Amino acid sequence: MASNHDHAHDHAHGHDDHAGHDHHHAPGFFTRWFLSTNHKDIGTLYLIFAIMAGVVGGALSVVMRMELQEPGIQIFHGLASMVYGFEGDAAIDGGKQMYNVFTTAHALIMIFFMVMPALIGGFANWMIPIMIGAPDMAFPRMNNISFWLIVPAFLLLILSMFAQGPAGGYGVGGGWTMYPPLATSGTPGPAVDLAILALHVAGASSILGAINFITTIMNMRAPGMTLHKMPLFAWSVLITAFLLLLSLPVLAGGITMLLTDRNFGTSFFAPENGGDPILFQHLFWFFGHPEVYILILPGFGIISHIISTFSRKPVFGYLGMAYAMVAIGAVGFIVWAHHMYTVGLSLNTQRYFLFATMVIAVPTGVKIFSWIATMWGGSISFRTPMIWAIGFIFLFTVGGVTGVQLANAGLDRAVHDTYYVVAHFHYVLSLGAVFAIFAAWYYWFPKMTGYMYNETLGNLHFFIMFVGVNMVFFPQHFLGLAGMPRRYIDYPDAFAGWNYVSSIGSYVSAAGVVVFFICIIEAFMKKRVAGDNPWGAGADTLEWQLSSPPPTHQWEQLPRIK
Amino acid sequence: AQPTPWQTDLQPAASGIMHEIRWFEEYTLWFIVPITLLVLALLVIVALRFRAGANPVPSKTSHNTLIEIIWTLGPVVVLFLIAIPSFQLLSNELIIPKDTDLTIKATGNQWYWSYEYQGGKELAFDSLMLKDADRSKFGKDDKAAYPRLLAVDNELVVPVNKTVRVLVTGADVIHAFAMPAFGVKIDAVPGRMNETWFKADKEGLYYGQCSELCGKDHAFMPVAIRVVTEEQYKTWLTAAAGNLGAANKALMAATDGKKTVDVASSAN
Amino acid sequence: MADGHNRQHDYHIIDPSPWPFLASIGAFIMAIGGVSYMRYLSAQPFELFGVNLANPWVFFIGLVLVLYTMFAWWADTIKEAHEGHHTRVVSLHLRYGMIMFIASEVMFFVAWFWAFFDASLFPGEAIQAARTAFTGGHWPPKGIEVLDPWHLPIYNTVILLLSGTTVTWAHHALLHGDRKGLINGLTLTVLLGLLFTFVQGYEYAHAPFAFKNSIYGATFFMATGFHGFHVIVGTIFLLVCLVRALKGDFTPKQHFGFEAAAWYWHFVDVVWLFLFFAIYIWGGWGAPLAHG
Ligand code: HEA
Ligand code: HEA
Ligand code: CUA
Ligand SMILES: [Cu+2]
Repeated sequence: MASNHDHAHDHAHGHDDHAGHDHHHAPGFFTRWFLSTNHKDIGTLYLIFAIMAGVVGGALSVVMRMELQEPGIQIFHGLASMVYGFEGDAAIDGGKQMYNVFTTAHALIMIFFMVMPALIGGFANWMIPIMIGAPDMAFPRMNNISFWLIVPAFLLLILSMFAQGPAGGYGVGGGWTMYPPLATSGTPGPAVDLAILALHVAGASSILGAINFITTIMNMRAPGMTLHKMPLFAWSVLITAFLLLLSLPVLAGGITMLLTDRNFGTSFFAPENGGDPILFQHLFWFFGHPEVYILILPGFGIISHIISTFSRKPVFGYLGMAYAMVAIGAVGFIVWAHHMYTVGLSLNTQRYFLFATMVIAVPTGVKIFSWIATMWGGSISFRTPMIWAIGFIFLFTVGGVTGVQLANAGLDRAVHDTYYVVAHFHYVLSLGAVFAIFAAWYYWFPKMTGYMYNETLGNLHFFIMFVGVNMVFFPQHFLGLAGMPRRYIDYPDAFAGWNYVSSIGSYVSAAGVVVFFICIIEAFMKKRVAGDNPWGAGADTLEWQLSSPPPTHQWEQLPRIK
Repeated sequence: AQPTPWQTDLQPAASGIMHEIRWFEEYTLWFIVPITLLVLALLVIVALRFRAGANPVPSKTSHNTLIEIIWTLGPVVVLFLIAIPSFQLLSNELIIPKDTDLTIKATGNQWYWSYEYQGGKELAFDSLMLKDADRSKFGKDDKAAYPRLLAVDNELVVPVNKTVRVLVTGADVIHAFAMPAFGVKIDAVPGRMNETWFKADKEGLYYGQCSELCGKDHAFMPVAIRVVTEEQYKTWLTAAAGNLGAANKALMAATDGKKTVDVASSAN
Repeated sequence: MADGHNRQHDYHIIDPSPWPFLASIGAFIMAIGGVSYMRYLSAQPFELFGVNLANPWVFFIGLVLVLYTMFAWWADTIKEAHEGHHTRVVSLHLRYGMIMFIASEVMFFVAWFWAFFDASLFPGEAIQAARTAFTGGHWPPKGIEVLDPWHLPIYNTVILLLSGTTVTWAHHALLHGDRKGLINGLTLTVLLGLLFTFVQGYEYAHAPFAFKNSIYGATFFMATGFHGFHVIVGTIFLLVCLVRALKGDFTPKQHFGFEAAAWYWHFVDVVWLFLFFAIYIWGGWGAPLAHG
């Protein structure tokens, strides 16, 4: 079964392959973008999708911040009457529910439809095959279904916002954690069912994607590229894929039980029939904690490349970097209950999770210090991707060390479910994962499009965003310490000051997103040719050996790694 | 106590546990702030010293076993230094003292709390957020002492310097019983009877808020605890069994009466 | 291979395909239809933009579409295998893919077992007041009559173990180019699979407890039901292999479709052993047996 079949196949397939033969490089629009089996096109689709989802998720968060700008209920009663047609007191109640719906949708969209599609579906899809010297992914057709499944998943989530939720309200207002009984008996309407199925579909998409990445990375590395010579981004995606593969099915199981509790009268989470609401929290966080590393690990990989490229130095402590990620991934599976310190876990259980959680700071520290050591002795040029990467290192550290505080169950008791936690996770997400995404965007934009972005606009985007998000989230530490609970549409007047600052910050961030778009448009208008490798000698991974943009099928002759 | 404008730290402690939490929080800052500053400083140093202008030829170093061992072991040591008092704090919080003076059951409902005094004199009542329209009815016109979203119609009343055991459960969905000044937060889960405790060491009126998302009025079901002297408590408890409203008014006259405006700040 | 001109590797560059896109439309219809159906079953409205979508049939439109794309997709895959695209490295991909898929399925079962052990190991914790009241502090919960593991379940265990050996027999026959043995082994395996499903169905129909309103029934039927679903899928998978064997698709060197089915079948087998020991034997210990 060797490959001497090509010729015969060409003829056999002529009829169902309009793109075949001579026009292979110019398939029709529909074929290229809807029926694609090309990892770069699918990656592009993912990136476009992620940007759109990011705008939706960001818009939701800005509306939330507008509501929280001042004490009292500012806008949601109005929104509720506009969208759902409530009036009078019903509008107030509808608005309160709607705020929770916004929070829930904001989180789910940012996590499942922005960060994951951007980092894994987008950048990893684009770059992993190229970087490891493969012509495409292992399962190119399955790659496309991974993309096309997140579209209906997203639609289902959006639709859920318009379906009946709790009595007298619409949508899922249970937070992205969807704890029962609020998500079962507390929200009888079909909105929750739609959201659950949205997660099922998104989960299926991710599991298939994970299988694809694992297979690709294990089997399709170019001759000579051993695991220990593989680029760190490939390492990070390999580990991420394993986390997805092993954690998502548990979530799927949990939300399936939620679904049967809601619709088929089962009692997994219903204590009156012997069930246990806390069981759901275990299942959710057994997925949820690995999930947060799924969101950040690809970013870690990207940052390593960028730091090395612009320091013109190989990554410091390559093996340590790779195995630190392995350690983070592995330990990430055994710390989940640090989200549940207040549910009534026994002393010994809390002791264990406290300790296990803190352990993760060690491999993460290895990463932070190795990045700095990579820069040490380098010859650093501060191009836009590098600035984002440096911003990432610092801001992620801020988010990481507050995470270490939260790991201490005794202290978490005081700040659990307050804005302190909100500040922590936005530092690692909105200032961590998102900064990594933008770093990657500017790093690979010339490669993916063939055009160079405008450096000044890129810098401006960074500085506005940096100021904006810090202004949003730094004050939230203060609010959290002072005791402001999260998921609150209205707060005691004493919290007004910092909330105001935080809200203004969100408008600044939104302005940053606008600059991001201007920067993209400008690049496409000016069409400055980027060249194969705009970054110079430091950029030594395989993608820089190809043209920009790369040919439809790269590596028809596999590269050899010494 | 209650939060104050532009506050940047934890609420002032009104129990031994909260004193320990506050201490521990500051203690962790002694590690994490320097670590963050160290990372920042290193970034600034490399940015200045190794920018292309200042250092045109990059070095080739990519290994240094000693430094790698240091930055692995360093954090390990830091984590042990954090973990030791942390374990102590956790045990102190979770091990409920044997000789509790009083047991109260708190049940979270959508969207209010019900309290039940157990053993000895039995008393049960609901505690709802105070509506602006009802302020004068309850004699709580003073917005400084009875702030919007925090004040309730009927506070939980407990004696000062007594160990109070709290049993917490939920009636419909999960809520969380939280009292920042005491360092207390525990989920009110339907079907579970969670236990916690506190020993308030200062008289005053203390506020907390429901801390687990429970539906549309999650933001509107505060917890308010009035800590009074033993005698005031006893008088109140006896009177409350007959007429809660009157007992509360009498108690307010005894406590707020002398220094209405000061209640909040005195606890601070 | 459309781009055959200067391609110098053994990977399979697949032509554009309509199936993923179609499947996603099917998934969307199926999901909306699923909610419609569930609402319909519980006689509740499902209003979206003023239209009541509660109905029993949209779901099946989606299902048919999904099943059709699955069929067409795998048909394509088989065709590509015949065309020689499944080189050694591509077969290796398929192996990895299948192993990873099974690994994710294992984690799915972890969720059901977690639910089961959460309840069965801790039926009477002091703080879980409501659960203790329901179970009486022990497992199985008070008032539950369980199925006798040494009756139908042990038969089913034997049936599945036997089917594990028949599928291995078929595999050996295949490796030795013994087509008749392959077909006989596969036929027997499929029949045993059907028998298992039938016995399980019979047992379900006579079970003394329900899916509803009890943690015992919930964990029992969810875990065994999900397993039963896998038995059905595995049986279909084997049946497809049987049809392909009859057509002479498999050679001693190249028969990954068969191997995947066999792996899947062994996985289903092993899960059953866990179910049998954990849920039927240990999980029913000491409770009164149902007679029927
Ligand atoms: C990208 C996502 C991401 C990442 C990377 C992390 C990283 C960490 N998180 Fe975070 N976390 C979230 C996302 C993330 N988290 C989210 C979304 C929630 C809330 C979910 C919800 O409830 O909705 C949450 C909540 C959360 C909680 C629960 C809080 C609560 O609800 O009360 C806890 C508690 O332990 C925690 C801990 C940690 C720890 C210890 C790390 C560590 O991995 C951090 C390690 C990093 C560092 C420590 C910095 C670098 C290290 C050094 C410079 C070395 C030296 C440092 C030391 C010795 C301290 N997180
Ligand atoms: C990745 C995750 C992520 C991101 C990026 C954000 C970003 C933001 N979040 Fe979000 N948030 C969560 C995850 C995230 N959040 C989660 C999990 C919760 C908890 C929900 C719950 O309680 O259940 C939460 C809750 C939450 C709250 C608390 C609500 C409450 O408890 O009542 C608030 C309030 O201020 C808030 C605000 C914001 C703001 C102002 C931003 C701003 O930073 C937004 C600015 C916009 C961007 C940074 C996006 C720009 C990105 C793109 C345009 C895409 C680019 C793509 C490519 C280049 C490919 N968020
Ligand atoms: Cu009750 Cu939140
Ligand atoms: Cu976590």
